[in-house]
Amino acid sequence: MKPSTDERVSTGIPGIDDMLKGGLISGRPYVVSGTTGSGKTILAVQFLHQGVKQGERALLVAIDEPPQEIRENVRALGWDVGKIRILDVHPAAKAYSKRVSVVEVAAQRSVGSLRDAGPSAKTEAMKAASPDVSVQSLQLMLKQELHEIKYSRVVIDSLTSLKKLSESMGDTNSSIMSLLRYLSESGVTSLIITDLPDPTELEPEMFICRGEIRLHKRMVANRIDRCVTIEKLRGSPHDPMPRPMNISDTGISVDSKKKIPKASLRMLQAFTQYGR
Amino acid sequence: MIKDKVKTGVPGLDDMLEGGLIPGRAYVVSGTSGTGKTSLAMQFLLEGARSGERVVYVSIDEPPNEVKQNMGTFGWDIGRIQVFDATPDVMNYDKTPVRDVSTERKVVYFSDIGPEIRQTSDRNPVDMTISTLQEILKQEMRARKYSRIVVDSLTSLRYFYIKTSEENTTLMSFFRLLSDLGVTALLTVQLPEISKPDVEVHVARGDIRLHKWFDGRGLMRGITVEKYRGSSHDNRLRTMKISSVGIDVKTQSPEKREEVSEEEEQPVEGSTDLPDPPPPSDEAPAPPAEPMPVQPNDQSPPAELPPKPVEQHKEGGGI
Repeated sequence: MKPSTDERVSTGIPGIDDMLKGGLISGRPYVVSGTTGSGKTILAVQFLHQGVKQGERALLVAIDEPPQEIRENVRALGWDVGKIRILDVHPAAKAYSKRVSVVEVAAQRSVGSLRDAGPSAKTEAMKAASPDVSVQSLQLMLKQELHEIKYSRVVIDSLTSLKKLSESMGDTNSSIMSLLRYLSESGVTSLIITDLPDPTELEPEMFICRGEIRLHKRMVANRIDRCVTIEKLRGSPHDPMPRPMNISDTGISVDSKKKIPKASLRMLQAFTQYGR
Repeated sequence: MIKDKVKTGVPGLDDMLEGGLIPGRAYVVSGTSGTGKTSLAMQFLLEGARSGERVVYVSIDEPPNEVKQNMGTFGWDIGRIQVFDATPDVMNYDKTPVRDVSTERKVVYFSDIGPEIRQTSDRNPVDMTISTLQEILKQEMRARKYSRIVVDSLTSLRYFYIKTSEENTTLMSFFRLLSDLGVTALLTVQLPEISKPDVEVHVARGDIRLHKWFDGRGLMRGITVEKYRGSSHDNRLRTMKISSVGIDVKTQSPEKREEVSEEEEQPVEGSTDLPDPPPPSDEAPAPPAEPMPVQPNDQSPPAELPPKPVEQHKEGGGI
């Protein structure tokens, strides 16, 4: 029996699958990074959508935006995203009243399908209790959820927000390591969404993750110019070149055969060399 | 002079190191993500295993099953490399006492590693700390004489096992332990894209740094020896390739660019697009942070690399 990296998971974007030489390696955590508006959430929903199309279970952990907003945003793309399940950990307005413990939070958070995402009595009541959301509590929530349903794809949108919410919780580095380890042990292929990393800082998720897909957005000659790079992919060859990316009303598409224009490449070089 | 140097097993790198590494000392392999640190470290262990030495890989970043799968792409026979799984368990955030790791995990051969990730025990996760890791290494070394050890990565060791307040002293003592054990060690260090010198590089006896950057033709890879105590070494940036059989360093590059000063190198085509470079750090900055000359699209030889600001580290012979 030869262990292999042959079992690949399609991202749902053919051009990116080509750049990854087939897709992501099953059961490993990956980072999707980029500035705001670079298309991270769309890419992630496309990844989950690909899963449900193949009959898999897919879970979106929504931290940045409330689920009903995500639903409205992706509905514009005309996808049937109803089968994607969503874990609503969007923090509510703080009530500063009675706090509940982390474990109780895990018992309270509700998972719904993206189709009926909307304010529910249960979530509202629970939010009134204003529990703390943190890396730790998310792991416990996921543990409960994965215990009931066998998911194969999970997206965390976004770890950047989750870390900000966890600031008071002590050893966040170890908690992130633990969360990603938990997802691996559960056999889940996960996408962890983060902001563009600060080039002078080393964030733990960046060196724990088994790969990083980075989305770039810049103004070139009065129009937005998008491209995607594979910054890292453990255990597999991959396309080292930036490739042009397009966001249309059918989602993200990437042309893995085309080179990006010289001017854009030069900006990208400057960009990666001097920081942002 | 030190006669019996330890070969790294990376063609070209041994030339840069004037024969290899000085036995019994700890060295750092540093670089940003995806520069080939783990591959280089594994090649170093493989070289030892091939000549019948006992070698051990301490895995902290990635579970050993994944490391084994990843290295499978090179077609290397890593079965005789021993491995210690020092990856942390999933935490359960309970206050229940955790069991000591030394009763739970042992050093095994890579050939014993299966395709699946080790599952955190249902009962309780085991507690791993820097002191238990040091204890395990000491016991192992006493029982069996290892000649080479890789810790992948020292960065994870710092982030997950060392308290910030005790960081420097703990790291010093870890390096001290390695030299007391008399083992030649390679410790991988992950660098952010713009880095300043950090404590591990000061404490290590040497620093092999891996680089990658874009030029007009695509992704380029390079390697420098930033520091090497007690030995002369190659001061220049050499090109490096990661192929299907491993890492290969090209040391035969023409000398002609040597004379070109940095000022003449600066006003390259398109340089007006570039923002100001970052302030220079204390030590030699990593080449990717320097302005790269924009390459013409023809097949120019790799000698077109910018001359690296030379860090004179010719300490000559031993102490």
